[in-house]
Amino acid sequence: MDFNTLIAQFVSGLSVAMLLFLVASGLTLIFGVVNVLNFAHGSFYLLGTYFTYQLMQMFNNFWVGLLVGVIGAGIVGMVIEVLFLRRIYGRDQEGAFQLLMTYAFILIIDDVVKFIWGPEYKTIPKPDALMGSLNIGTTVVPTYNVFIIVVGLLVVLFAWYFLTKTDKGKMVRASSLDRNMLGLLGTNVPMIMTLVFGVATAMGGLAGILAAPLRTVTPGAGVEVIIDSMIVVVIGGFGNFWGALLGALIIGEVLSFGILWMPELATVLTFIVMIIVLIVKPEGLLAKKMVGRK
Amino acid sequence: MKRKLISLLLILAVLAPLTAVYGAETIKIGALYTMTGRGGQYGKDSEVAIKIALDEVNAKGLPGGAKLDVIITDDKNPQYAVSVAKRYITDEKCKFLFGIISTGIGLAVTEVSKEYKVIFVGTDHAGTDLTANKFQKYYFRTSNNTFQSMMAGAYYLKDEVKNWKKIAYIGPDYAYGRDQLMELKWGLDKLGVKYQLVGEYWPKLYEPDYTSYITAIIKAAPDILVNGMWGGDTVSFIKQAKPYKLFEKMKYFHVDAGGNYEALAALGADMPEGIIMSARHHNNWPETSANKAYVQKFYKAAGRYPSYAAEGAYVGIHVIAEAIRKVGNANDTEALVKAMEGMKIQTPEDPPGFISYIDPKTHQIVQVQAIGTTVKNDKFPPAKYMLGNFKVYPADKLWPSFEYIDYMTKVKGK
Repeated sequence: MDFNTLIAQFVSGLSVAMLLFLVASGLTLIFGVVNVLNFAHGSFYLLGTYFTYQLMQMFNNFWVGLLVGVIGAGIVGMVIEVLFLRRIYGRDQEGAFQLLMTYAFILIIDDVVKFIWGPEYKTIPKPDALMGSLNIGTTVVPTYNVFIIVVGLLVVLFAWYFLTKTDKGKMVRASSLDRNMLGLLGTNVPMIMTLVFGVATAMGGLAGILAAPLRTVTPGAGVEVIIDSMIVVVIGGFGNFWGALLGALIIGEVLSFGILWMPELATVLTFIVMIIVLIVKPEGLLAKKMVGRK
Repeated sequence: MKRKLISLLLILAVLAPLTAVYGAETIKIGALYTMTGRGGQYGKDSEVAIKIALDEVNAKGLPGGAKLDVIITDDKNPQYAVSVAKRYITDEKCKFLFGIISTGIGLAVTEVSKEYKVIFVGTDHAGTDLTANKFQKYYFRTSNNTFQSMMAGAYYLKDEVKNWKKIAYIGPDYAYGRDQLMELKWGLDKLGVKYQLVGEYWPKLYEPDYTSYITAIIKAAPDILVNGMWGGDTVSFIKQAKPYKLFEKMKYFHVDAGGNYEALAALGADMPEGIIMSARHHNNWPETSANKAYVQKFYKAAGRYPSYAAEGAYVGIHVIAEAIRKVGNANDTEALVKAMEGMKIQTPEDPPGFISYIDPKTHQIVQVQAIGTTVKNDKFPPAKYMLGNFKVYPADKLWPSFEYIDYMTKVKGK
C-alpha cells in the first residue's frame, strides 16, 4: 500500500466523518440536554438545504444561503420544541410520544418541502472559490472537501471552548446532568433546552448545506443520513458530544479503508463496528464521562 | 297524441346517449409508485404521464363507452405494496395492477398478480427477473429491462471503445445493481470480448457519500468504470467524482439509467462532457413528431421535462387500452393476456421504421436501445448537457435471449 493511497483514503474518510459528525453532534446534543431522541433530526438537514437553495435562487450567493439556511433550520427547530415537544416532556411513556411525534415531523417536513419546492432534484453549486482541487503528492483532494474538514474542526474547537470555558456552556452541561437541580438554583431550564434544540437543529442544517453541493438535494435526503448518524451516536455514547466526534471519525475511516480493502463488506462494516462496541462497551465509547443522573 | 309521441321520442333520443355514458363502466387500474424520497420524482412523473395517456385513451373511446381510471398509492416497501395490491383487487375491484419503480417491490407484487390472476403492467422497474426466471403469465412490462440495456452496452464496448481491458463496476447493492454486472459480463463473454474486472463496489441504495468509493476506484485504475446507479445516486456520484478528476482518468459508462433526464437536469453544467450513457427514453431522441409531441405534452402539463419513468407509464396505459379494445371488455383476463402477447404499440421512443412490440413468450416490451455521449445542449433546460452521438442497437439483437434466461435461472433460481 503506497503512501499516496493511504493519504487519499484517510482524507476522504475524514471528509465523510466531518459531515457525519455535524449531523450526529446535533442529534446527541438534543439527547444529552433535552433528553429527546430526535428522529426528525435529518429533516433539519433537509430544511437547511432547501432554505439555502431558495436564497440562492434569489441572491445567487452561497454564503448568504448558508447563513440563512443555518439560522432558518435553528428557528424551525426552536418553534417545534416550544410548540410541540415541550407538551410531552415528563409524560408517562414520554419515549413513545417522542418517537411518534418526531417521526411525524419527518413525514410532515418531507411533504412540506415537496409541496413548496417540488419533487425534482435541485442543485446547489459550490462557491467559485472552492471549485478546484489540491494536489498532495500525487493525490488529488477537492478543495471543497478540505473546506468541509476545516468547518468540522472549527465547530469542534468552538464547541470545546463553549462547553468547557464559558458559564453558558457549563450550564448546558449541568442541565444534561440534572436539570431539576439546575431549575431549583434559579436557571431558566426551558429556555436552555429551547436554545440547545435550536443550536442542534442549526448544526443539522449546516451539515445539509455543506453536503448539498456534493449530494442530491431532494425530499427524503434527511432520512438517508439519520441511520448513519444514529450509529455514530451509539458508538460514541448517547448524549456525549465528544463521543459523536470519535464515533464519526471511526465510522468515516473504517468505511474508507474498508472500501479499499474489503469492498464487498463495505455496507456492513459500520454495523459490525457498532455491534463490537455494543458488546464491549454497551453505553458507548465515551458515555461514562458525560452520563449522569437525570 | 301524435305530437306527444313525437316529443317523447325526441326526449328519448336526447337522453339515450347520456344514459349510455352514465351507465358506462369505469375500468379501474390500481397503480403503485414511489412518491416520496429520492425515487419520488419517478412516481410524480409517472402520475403526469398517466394523466396525459388517460386523456388520450378516453377521448379516443373504449368499447361500450367505458372509461379508464387510475388510483395511485405510494408503494413504500414490498410488504406494504403487497397489501395495497390485494386491496386494489378485492375492495377496489381493479382490473389491472400497474406501475412500480423498484424491482424489489415489483418482484413482490408479481406474486399477487399470479395468485389473483390479475394482469400487472410494470412500467419502470427494470430487473430482468420479472420477464425471465420469475416470469408469470399475468405480468407484462412496458419499459426495457436491464439485460436489454447491458447487452446493448456490451455491443457498444466491443465496437465503439478502443484500447481497453480493465473494467471496474459500482452499483447499488440489490438485485437491480447486481444484475447489471452479471448481464454485462455475460454479454461481453458472449461477444468474445476479453476483459479484466479489477474492482466491484456495492454501496447501499441512496448512499449519501461516495467519496471513499471514488478514491478506491481511482486506486484500482480501470480503463472503464461501469456505473449501475439510478436517480439521485447518479447525481451524487458524478458531483463527488468530478473534482477527483475521475472522468479524466478513465472512461465512464452508465447505460441503463445514467442518461435519464432528471440526472442531466440536476447536474446542469456539472455534467462531464463525453461520458457514455443511456436511458430508457430520451427527450431529444428520436427526433420524431411522436416523441416531440409526447415531450411537449408532458412539459405543458408539468412545467418540466419528463424522466424516463414517465414514458413507461404512458405506454402502459395505451397497452391496456388497446388490449381492452381488442377484447371488447376488461373482464376476460385470459383474452386480455392473449391480446397483449405480441401486441405492437407505437411508442415515443420508437425511431422511424420501428414499432415496439411485446414479446409473446416473456411479456417484455422489445425496443431499440440508443447509447450516446454527453454533449452540450441547452434546449431542455435546466439541463446543460444532453446525450448525442447516438449508436442505435436493434431490438431483436437485445431481446429475447433464452440462452441468458436459462443462465439466469440457473444462477438465481425460479
